[in-house]
Amino acid sequence: MKRLRDWWSNPWGRPRALVAVTWLYIAWSIVPIAIAILFSFNAGKSRTVWQGFSTRWYWGDPTQSVLHDPALRSALEQSLKLAALDMAVSVPLGVALALGLTRWHGPGARPVNVLMLFPLVTPEIVMAVSLLLVFVTLYGIQLGTTAQLLGQVTFSVSYVVVIVRGRLLSIGKEYEEAATDLGASRVAALRLVLLPLLAPAIFASLMVVFALSIDDFVVTDYLSSDASTQTVPIQIYSSVRGTTTPALNALATVIVVATLLAVAFAYVVHRRFTAGDEAARGSALREIAAFDV
Amino acid sequence: MARRGLFWPLFALPGAVWLVLFFLIPFYAVLSVAFGTVDPIFQGPVPVWNPFDWHFTTMRSVLEQLRPGQVFWTVFVRTFAYVGIALAGCLAIGYPVAYYLARHARRTKALLLVLLIIPFWVSYLMRMLAWIGLLLPDGLVNRSLVDIGLLSHPHGWLDGQPSSVIFALVYGYVPYLILPLFATLDRIEPHLIEAGLDLGASRFSTFLHVTLPLSKQGILAGSVLIALPMFGDYYTNDVISGSPGTSMIGNQINLFFQGGPQRTTGAALVIVLAVLLGALMSYYLYSTVRASRQPVTA
Amino acid sequence: MSEAKGGAVELVELRKRFGDVAAVDGVSLRIPAGEFFSLLGPSGCGKTTTLRLIAGLERPDGGRISLDGVDMAATPPHRRKVNTVFQNYALFPHLSVFDNVAFGLRRRRTSRNEINRRVGGVLEAVRLEGLEKRRPSQLSGGQQQRVALARALVLEPSVLLLDEPLGALDAKLRKALQLELKTIHEQFGITFVYVTHDQEEALTMSDRIAVMSDGRVEQVATPEEIYEEPATVFVADFLGISNLMTATAEGAHDGRCLLRLGESELHAARGEISARGEVRIVIRPERIRVEPYAPGGENRIPGMVERVVYLGSLEQLVIRLATGDVLQAIVVNDGEPKAFSQGVPVRVHLPAEALRVLPERPAGEVT
Repeated sequence: MKRLRDWWSNPWGRPRALVAVTWLYIAWSIVPIAIAILFSFNAGKSRTVWQGFSTRWYWGDPTQSVLHDPALRSALEQSLKLAALDMAVSVPLGVALALGLTRWHGPGARPVNVLMLFPLVTPEIVMAVSLLLVFVTLYGIQLGTTAQLLGQVTFSVSYVVVIVRGRLLSIGKEYEEAATDLGASRVAALRLVLLPLLAPAIFASLMVVFALSIDDFVVTDYLSSDASTQTVPIQIYSSVRGTTTPALNALATVIVVATLLAVAFAYVVHRRFTAGDEAARGSALREIAAFDV
Repeated sequence: MARRGLFWPLFALPGAVWLVLFFLIPFYAVLSVAFGTVDPIFQGPVPVWNPFDWHFTTMRSVLEQLRPGQVFWTVFVRTFAYVGIALAGCLAIGYPVAYYLARHARRTKALLLVLLIIPFWVSYLMRMLAWIGLLLPDGLVNRSLVDIGLLSHPHGWLDGQPSSVIFALVYGYVPYLILPLFATLDRIEPHLIEAGLDLGASRFSTFLHVTLPLSKQGILAGSVLIALPMFGDYYTNDVISGSPGTSMIGNQINLFFQGGPQRTTGAALVIVLAVLLGALMSYYLYSTVRASRQPVTA
Repeated sequence: MSEAKGGAVELVELRKRFGDVAAVDGVSLRIPAGEFFSLLGPSGCGKTTTLRLIAGLERPDGGRISLDGVDMAATPPHRRKVNTVFQNYALFPHLSVFDNVAFGLRRRRTSRNEINRRVGGVLEAVRLEGLEKRRPSQLSGGQQQRVALARALVLEPSVLLLDEPLGALDAKLRKALQLELKTIHEQFGITFVYVTHDQEEALTMSDRIAVMSDGRVEQVATPEEIYEEPATVFVADFLGISNLMTATAEGAHDGRCLLRLGESELHAARGEISARGEVRIVIRPERIRVEPYAPGGENRIPGMVERVVYLGSLEQLVIRLATGDVLQAIVVNDGEPKAFSQGVPVRVHLPAEALRVLPERPAGEVT
């Protein structure tokens, strides 16, 4: 008994209670996802009773698999399409804004800086409702892919700014100054020095935007038009409570795997980019993970 | 000279214009709809752009329903209760985990960090989907509980249970709390804690008098970070409960935006929510500014 | 090869403010071509800002900067024939040593052969042959410093600006690189403007030094003059330990200033010998002669040894004078048994030719 107590509360050892809480939490957070992924490979129609392994819900089933069910397939396509478009628009926009906001000290910089932070703290439903209303009543933008893209970029761009600005601040102005001192014009300094140095942050932004876009439900749903503009989260939301097949799990799994692969890829590339650059590498994981606001 | 002054502002211009067009003006559109009128024939909302012509009837009726005992009052109180309890739950789970990771984990630190980040990258609705599968009447949770004899027959976890909604909120939002908490705790100098121990404080009292006060800002920031989206959340409730009995502000707003004539009311509710969260945010900013102005010795 | 290569820099009433702070507050300097000129001062004195103004990285609020007689106010940094070695080198981490050094040449659209030839030459001059393909992060601190130097030198600037280039290195390496920098200066024959807060570095390397404080130049002179003939209290204090005392001056007598320090009477042969009223007087610790106690004597004051600090080759004595002032004296450790120990009364000789009367303000400025 005493030995057990010593083991539990050894003042020099690690606090066992904390170890227990941490691992229990991790199990609690990951095991359900693992089970949901497992059931995407169920041979039967049940999402709760294991009936053997199969890939029918991915491509085997001629009508209900992710590959063959038109609704699921179109959701997957729409999700990936929006993610690609969102990355293509919000990353350049955000990088430019971050550069402008860190280097420009004029009177307009401050309000833009504050405005940029708002989308990060505004609940999605507020953004979704306001975009819906402005598109319908003022801008006359048809709901659908364009509206969804405009909405997604609006909240993505702030994340890009935060990530890129973090890196910009840690780089400082000295490399640019060195470049201009050595005869580079400002545009050349930007192209030859600043952008290469920002590459890790730009890459991290791409991945974060990808994940944000893939994960987004509220804005994308509010700005969707018909079945053809439904994305994977919308599909999950609308059919999860009904009688549905493991195909839904399979659809979600595809997205999860795609996201995790993207993140892992980003991490590897980030390490390559920052080889030898210890400061940048130290922040790599956190940058990709938490986009520390 | 002019080029020199315009170089960087030109970079900021597209982003700034974007934010004005798609964030600022849309928010004004909400105001215009909330204080606008309803088309008598098509029952659609008619925005009024000039603030001098605004109608306050909708807002007045929304505010009246916010009085104790009225419909919105119940929903608001419920929302605050759910968010409050879920936030407490998130802190109770998230703080020890972040603390362990920042303070004690050594060899396993990188692995733990990766494991903690995974839920962060798994789509929110996928995570809900996972629990729904487990909580179905014939799901793993019910079957296990019946098997070990804790339940005599399967429990309807998904049939409008407030506890299930709060549980799902905790599950959904706790990863977003752990990372900022970890970042704060990780920045605390280990020497400060060693000094606490050296000066005769026990582990627990060092935690209470050194670590906890130093991580206060992180707790506050993390709490705001997850409380704000929770206040606007409706999808968690919809997929876990689906019952009006657990409806939150977000559900109410979402409901009004499904149909035409109610959008004006919905917009008014959005404004009430925005004002509320704005106040919360201001308090947070105020306390951050105050904390950063305080001398370190205080 | 050192004739007419360097550029002459002239600063006239240069001013630069950052918000409420006047970082550079009316600096006028004339640096002839080919000189090794140092800006010396504590952090925040405006020396780095002055350097950045010359480089064109900051725009002056007032005053003129000219290079070889040509005003440079409207010339952006990338068109100035001036290059900088930055404090933390600012080597581009994503480029190899070769590409770092070739960076400036490529901006000038130099031919490939010419680039190879010149980069090779300059890397040889700074003894970095064979490291062309390395990344900056794979180099030691001293090597990085040399790359920064090579990168600036390869452009053959007429003026090289160096901002605390040895600041990040350890003491031993600093010494070695000081000599190397001096050699490179002689070899290239261009003007060096060197910013440092280390008086020893400035004294050993420079042809002339400007001591700066609060955005202003306190004194411009050769190292010997700066050390031996500090013009102001600040300069005296900044350059090593100076014993500063407040005395009452009673004007010049026979080329010496008559001073009253408490009960004692002193003569000072240097500085503002015609001053009257309250003045500050200064004497270097190594110029003080410590003698066994005896009453009286010219320029001699009784005192008591408060502390003896052993410094190896030297011994530092802290002596409290009868006047209440505390002085530091340096005595050579010549192997004799210790003559002075704590609590021993002594007589301190402050030779008139070592005692200096200082004005409070920089020379030439009347308040």
